[in-house]
Amino acid sequence: MAMSVRVRLGSQFRNIMRVCFHENRHMSTAEIVVEKSENPKEPERISLEEQQRLNDIAKNERMEKLLNMRFAYQEFLPDPNPKNRNTLKERLERRDMLARRSNVEIPEFYVGSLVAVMHSDPHAPGKNNRFMGICIQKIGAGLRASFILRNFIDGEGVEINFDMYDPTIQRIDVIRLEKRLDEELFYLRDAPPEYSTFPVDMEPEYQPEGSAVPVNEIKVPLKPLPWLVKWERMGMKGIRDVTSMLTEKRLRMSKLKQFNKPWEKYDLLKMYSETIPIEDQVEIFSEIQEKLHELEQHRYKMKRSRNFVKPTKMG
Amino acid sequence: MTTLLKVLYGFNPLKSFLTPKPDFLEITCRSKHRILPKPKKRFPPWLIKSTRSTRYEDELTSENKTFLKQLVQEKYPRPESGYGSYSPLNLNIVESAVEWSPSYQRAGLIARKIGVYPMWMKDGRKVLTTLFQVADNHVIKYQPPETYKPMITKRKTSLPPSKGSLIIGADSADPQLFTKEYCGLFEESGVMPKRLLARFHVSPEAALQPGTPLLASHFKVGQYVDIRGKTINRGFQGVMKRWGFHGMPASHGVTKTHRRPGNIGSGGKKARVMPGTKMPGHMGNRYRVLKAQRIVRINTKYNVLWVLGSASPGECNSCVQIFDTVLPLKNCNYLKQTPYFPTYYPGRDEELPEELMVDDLHNFNDPTIMFTEDEE
Amino acid sequence: MNQAKILNLVAKLKHTNNIKPRKLKNYRGPEGRIAMLQKSLTALLKYERIELNFNRADETRAYAEIFMSQIAKQGSQNQKSIDMANFWILENQIIYKLFNVLVPRFSNDVSYTNLYHHPNVYPGILRPKAILELKNNSFPKVSSSIKNQSSVENILLKESHKRHFIDVITQ
Repeated sequence: MAMSVRVRLGSQFRNIMRVCFHENRHMSTAEIVVEKSENPKEPERISLEEQQRLNDIAKNERMEKLLNMRFAYQEFLPDPNPKNRNTLKERLERRDMLARRSNVEIPEFYVGSLVAVMHSDPHAPGKNNRFMGICIQKIGAGLRASFILRNFIDGEGVEINFDMYDPTIQRIDVIRLEKRLDEELFYLRDAPPEYSTFPVDMEPEYQPEGSAVPVNEIKVPLKPLPWLVKWERMGMKGIRDVTSMLTEKRLRMSKLKQFNKPWEKYDLLKMYSETIPIEDQVEIFSEIQEKLHELEQHRYKMKRSRNFVKPTKMG
Repeated sequence: MTTLLKVLYGFNPLKSFLTPKPDFLEITCRSKHRILPKPKKRFPPWLIKSTRSTRYEDELTSENKTFLKQLVQEKYPRPESGYGSYSPLNLNIVESAVEWSPSYQRAGLIARKIGVYPMWMKDGRKVLTTLFQVADNHVIKYQPPETYKPMITKRKTSLPPSKGSLIIGADSADPQLFTKEYCGLFEESGVMPKRLLARFHVSPEAALQPGTPLLASHFKVGQYVDIRGKTINRGFQGVMKRWGFHGMPASHGVTKTHRRPGNIGSGGKKARVMPGTKMPGHMGNRYRVLKAQRIVRINTKYNVLWVLGSASPGECNSCVQIFDTVLPLKNCNYLKQTPYFPTYYPGRDEELPEELMVDDLHNFNDPTIMFTEDEE
Repeated sequence: MNQAKILNLVAKLKHTNNIKPRKLKNYRGPEGRIAMLQKSLTALLKYERIELNFNRADETRAYAEIFMSQIAKQGSQNQKSIDMANFWILENQIIYKLFNVLVPRFSNDVSYTNLYHHPNVYPGILRPKAILELKNNSFPKVSSSIKNQSSVENILLKESHKRHFIDVITQ
């Protein structure tokens, strides 16, 4: 009996810690209005130009805050291809996404973070399944958004592709929030297994309030050839010494000069056609911001009320 | 004497059997078996030219431009919230009181395909749905079967036609964009000139008064519909893309024939290419009908239909025609549904909520799907 | 599956909605295309009004608009904008002109260029021609923006406007 009580207390403590952790994370991304106490002094007279300048600064700050939402809520940005765009469809899709978010908490996480997903599965024993692993890809716009988790289980590499707005997902827990050097980590398939092996029952790690998301600058060595992809062509930052592993013949065959396109990062029109313009982003995020903020507040209240329940006497 | 002999010889019944016959193959009519008719390049000459050149528009002063805009607004004022975006001018809509019967054919709608996105069924299955926006549809004209004379090249029956024609317009636009003749088409119904027109065959009982607005709630959720639209124009395409041939191997000594069709005809007595052989050519830009698609969700505020599947013809933001399915095992009579007849009238029929969904589709407002273990 | 990239932020183009990069046929491929655009962009900033084939002018216009808006947004001290200017502008004097003359000149504007169709001379090469210019330049205007008040359409519409106004009042 003592054991069981200890276990319950332990889980409760974990819950409390999780609440604190989540609360802090929301502080970093969302706008929380703090009311200032009114000054008894008379307001100083400000010239019109000065006032305009202050207004501009405040407006810019608000804009920046809105635009910074694009990192955490990337899937709210639509497909940039003008052929596929339609404002009504995007608005309906966003409404559906928010409706789903009101039923499950989809936390902020990035490629490289450790994530655990609990989802209902009709074929699993107990009808539920939990999978934990490193996020190696986050892709898709709108309700199509999905992410891939990778882990080594029983000496076998396992990858699962989850839809972010799948209604069978019960909860998504972020075990360790961090970024890597690259936007996708498919090279872990060609890396030794210890780089994608994580214990399934890992405890969530907490970070201090309001801190930036840390970047893990680990460089992964690859297994000897053959590889699934010609990694030397890709220019990945997170791979250690790619060219040193290749023979002279392979280097010649891979035609690095031909695939090196230094002008591509200056191609302005390409950059424009791959992004959503600032004006559209501001429109989208100002639409969803209020609703997201409301959801966070509601969730915070619910969690507090749930966690401070007196433990009942056992036995 | 000679004439008599000739006549006798002519009457010889065995003649046709006895004379040696050359090997003769019947050449089938090409036009009958043609799989894909050539796309029409010429605009039909009997249609009225719709768009007007706006070459001299820039020479008007800004005051005159605003005056013209004001005139348009006075003629076509903004309507009440219940009906579409533009309402007909001073027209009292007569609601028909005929009850629905399975033999009646209802009107269809013109809709814009606005995109595809996934939704989930209640059993956790992911399905793709196509969104159609019913853009501002109004009845323009009705012709009863007696006066309706469609262009028919081969009339098979001598019976008079039993179906009338209903012309429906969608997508209202500024009348300044169109010619005077084209704007004249809309005088009877009193609606704003429409960019798109479509003709539907309807039974005389399902006829609608010109000026009646058609909404997305013309259909019910769970109903099956046919979708007719113009497929994506892909231009001149090879045999692998157009017909899904496998092509030939990339290596093993194959040269110059990796994406080619291979043999197209046999030798011997035929010694020709059979009609209808699948070959490279123009792909797409033809009208195609996708039959029996299920409507799973309707938004009555924005007039949007969610239809199961992603294979409807046409690209995003192109227009299609949607009507009750012709397949006997999917129609309203077989499924025991009663559709709104002749269409949904907001005043007469029951008031609908903003969102309508079929029972087996998961609503995003509902909690997470949980499976329970069957107790045996 | 297409997804918007989020690293860079770009302001919306004002002169067009639907933009698709042109190929601009060149024997050096995409690299040559960029070289062509570098030349015409430098010329545009140098002479402020140039005459080109329409295709090339339209493409240069899009590049010039994005280029100017990026530099105006990031400021002349930013390393990114200095790199961008070093890549696109082939003459050092023009870089100086860009940061000291052009950016302050366009501080309040939303778009930076004008494009006009240019008539062809017959007989000759019948490729469509265009004039591309920076706004607020010192040259005389390409086209007159003053409307012809005394044209028949304008006089008739003005009179009918008056009559309409009287009709509304009398009712």
